Amino acid sequence: MRLLRSSAAAGAAAVALAGAAAVAVVAVWRSGGAGVDVAWLPSWGVRLAFRLDGLGALYGLLATGIGVAVFAYATAYLPRHLEHDERPQAEGRRFHALMVLFMVAMVGLATAQDLLLLFLFWDLTAVASYLLIGFDRQHREARLSALMALLVTGVSAVLLLIGILILRAELGTTSIPALLELAQGGPAVTLAGALIAVGALAKSAQAPLHFWLPRAMAAPTPVSAYLHSAAMVAAGVFVLSRLHPLLATSPVLLDGLLVVGLVSMAVGGLLALGEDHLKRLLAYSTIAQYGYVVTMLGVGGAAGVAAACFYVLAHALAKSALFLTSGAVTEATGAKALSQAGGLARAMPALAVGSGLAAAGLAALPLTVGFFKDELFFKAAAERGPWLAVLAVASAALTFAYVTRFWTGIFLGPRRRPARALPGRLVLPVVVLGGLVLAGGVVVAPFAALSEDAAQVAAAAVAPVEAAYHLDLRAENVMALATYAAGLAVVAGRPRFSGALAGAIRLGRRVGPERAYIAGLAALNRMSNAIHDVEMRDLRTRVVAVLVPAGVLVGAGVAVTPFEGAYLVGSFTRSDLPLVVALAACALAALVVARLRRHLALALGLSGVGFSLAVAYELLGAPDVALVAVVIETLFMLLFVAVFALLPRAVLRRETRLAELGSRRIRDPIVGVVSGLLMLLVVWAALSRPTPTDTSAARQLDLAGQAHGKDVVTVILADFRGLDTMVEVTVVVVALLGVAALLRRGKLW
Amino acid sequence: MTTVLTRMVARLLLVPVLMVAAAILIKGYVDVGDGFAAGVIAALGVLLQYLAFGRAAVERVLPVRHAPKLAIGGLLVALAVAFIPVLGGQAPLQHAPAPGAEVIHLGTLELLTAVAFDAGVFALVLGMVVATIHLIASTVEERGEQP
Repeated sequence: MRLLRSSAAAGAAAVALAGAAAVAVVAVWRSGGAGVDVAWLPSWGVRLAFRLDGLGALYGLLATGIGVAVFAYATAYLPRHLEHDERPQAEGRRFHALMVLFMVAMVGLATAQDLLLLFLFWDLTAVASYLLIGFDRQHREARLSALMALLVTGVSAVLLLIGILILRAELGTTSIPALLELAQGGPAVTLAGALIAVGALAKSAQAPLHFWLPRAMAAPTPVSAYLHSAAMVAAGVFVLSRLHPLLATSPVLLDGLLVVGLVSMAVGGLLALGEDHLKRLLAYSTIAQYGYVVTMLGVGGAAGVAAACFYVLAHALAKSALFLTSGAVTEATGAKALSQAGGLARAMPALAVGSGLAAAGLAALPLTVGFFKDELFFKAAAERGPWLAVLAVASAALTFAYVTRFWTGIFLGPRRRPARALPGRLVLPVVVLGGLVLAGGVVVAPFAALSEDAAQVAAAAVAPVEAAYHLDLRAENVMALATYAAGLAVVAGRPRFSGALAGAIRLGRRVGPERAYIAGLAALNRMSNAIHDVEMRDLRTRVVAVLVPAGVLVGAGVAVTPFEGAYLVGSFTRSDLPLVVALAACALAALVVARLRRHLALALGLSGVGFSLAVAYELLGAPDVALVAVVIETLFMLLFVAVFALLPRAVLRRETRLAELGSRRIRDPIVGVVSGLLMLLVVWAALSRPTPTDTSAARQLDLAGQAHGKDVVTVILADFRGLDTMVEVTVVVVALLGVAALLRRGKLW
Repeated sequence: MTTVLTRMVARLLLVPVLMVAAAILIKGYVDVGDGFAAGVIAALGVLLQYLAFGRAAVERVLPVRHAPKLAIGGLLVALAVAFIPVLGGQAPLQHAPAPGAEVIHLGTLELLTAVAFDAGVFALVLGMVVATIHLIASTVEERGEQP
């Protein structure tokens, strides 16, 4: 019970935080914006710069304002959701914390004034969305969907980073205001802009990288409502708006945006029209709606950008309300698809009215804020050309049709299932958001002012948002009327072409990009398994897997090196005799090791090699190395013997038998001899050409005295290369932890 | 089981081995050897006791149970020597006293930050090896097999 309370407290805290943040955003925006700018990475010229300008205010207010509604909804939704899945209520705290993390990441993204900072928050949204989409981690579907969202948006985020780095290399800064001032076009800027745009479009679920969004509907409803209306997908078009002046230096980029937007509008609209599952229908609708925004950003100019900014605002209000509606309907009746729902208007009048207003907004009916979003869209499209005006009307008609289908399918018609009463917190956010949609249709000035300020930043020019009702036959009004007519025609004619639509959707599923994603992932998995099987079968195979590629590289190096003068045979004096004896002993021990089969004998033979080498070091005048070699060989031999006692006899016998296999008897000696010979050639060649230019040894000898040392090896280890030593000894402690974890479950003693 | 002779030799050798390790550590800056070699030699002395007397007897008599603490303490000393100068805006592992400046002598031992670093490495290696020996020995015992 105490845990339940604290989980509820976390939810309340999240709502309060979002509310305070929303009020703060509005207050700062009204006072003309504010920012902080402190040094962060001076050697890279990166500053910790945030500024709440018009664009930041728009997206920040979406994240925090819709956050209030969604978080409040979640405080009622989540306890039921957890109970339904028989999970402890304490997990609610994690949920609320992640939602707040997402909100913080969005506000940071919206206000960041440096591209590296922006990238940081971008990835933070990806991480938070991964955890949120996969919140129901006991369901395989949720885990796979979360992974898909992370991979699609995360891999494309790498393209974004590459674009940022190209801009930095080309223009010498990552500060956004400086970049927008400096960017004059050119191939490098266009390439960077294209990479950034791909990353942003994947985040906004635009075709052909749209398939992760409907999958992400496996998340709990508040997550869908938040991430897929106001936050996650909005991040993509936000970055496009933020960098729009830079993208606008290249007409090709803008045309690309236009094409992607139009395709997404068509794909999303048609899929939404054919979809039965409530949340997936809305997801496809989101793809289409952000397609509008991308199209308008592609149209560009003050009109296009202003329309895009207003569209984002109006859409987020309406769409989040519809998502919350679908969750409430599922909660009340258990229906998850249109075919299971129906006739709920009488049972849930408040929900019906609230979501009806939101649906009217999305369908752009007059007296809602959505009417103006389509007016601005039509105006921008008509200015571009009649062909775009036709396409705009066509996709707006699709929107009208699927929104009508969604709302009437749930609330009208015959009642299919009984409905339980819902707590107020599941209904009130929908009503409030729907009320806002209506209020925006009556008093549009605040909405227009906010998006006008945003558009002014995004267009880098004055971008007036002229939202008003005109009772005349101007182009926009005619287009709106055509939309309603065409939309009604689609709704009425849907039974006639639903078969063809379903066929097209099936075809798209069979050859679409999601198929490529799944096939690609499966192929990567297979490749990884194949490499693992080849490399990791047993110790000898692993050694071979290292030696053979290394041998190929070394052999290639030897082959292209001129042979003449590379292999000098020096003179031989009597004083070299002890060294030769030591090396001969070493070689003999090595040959013996190759013949040995029993593990204990192997360990002894190997330390014989080591001790002979230590003698050779001593004779070569390296007492420090010799000392370490002797003590380490002793220690290793003893530890080897001790570890053999730990290994089951069967494992040791199996390993011994493997070594006697027919194929191994041929492979192992060949690999060993060839790699040994190549190593001999390399060492021989290196020793034949002493490099007189390398004076570091002499300098270190000289410096050792100044560093108060006489033994230069110790001084190098503890001082000159002390940082290396430090990292190495840290690894030693990590190795100890590893031994403890393997042998004693992590207990060090 | 080991013979009386082995046990006697092991007992007699412990102190000299530790002395040699200490000498190698202290003389590291002027003569052959350093903290690493000294740590391994001292650990070999302890390992010899394990071989001669068995785990239980050694752990009753010698304070080897502090080995993990010794290893982590050594790491902390090395990290401190490396990074305390960074807090003062200097390079990591910055010398104190500075190159060429006067050094305090204790016999042949010169008091330097680098020597402290080496001592940290010594403690870490000794602690790590002894702890590993203990882990292996107690696991072997648990599985009922003689090493």
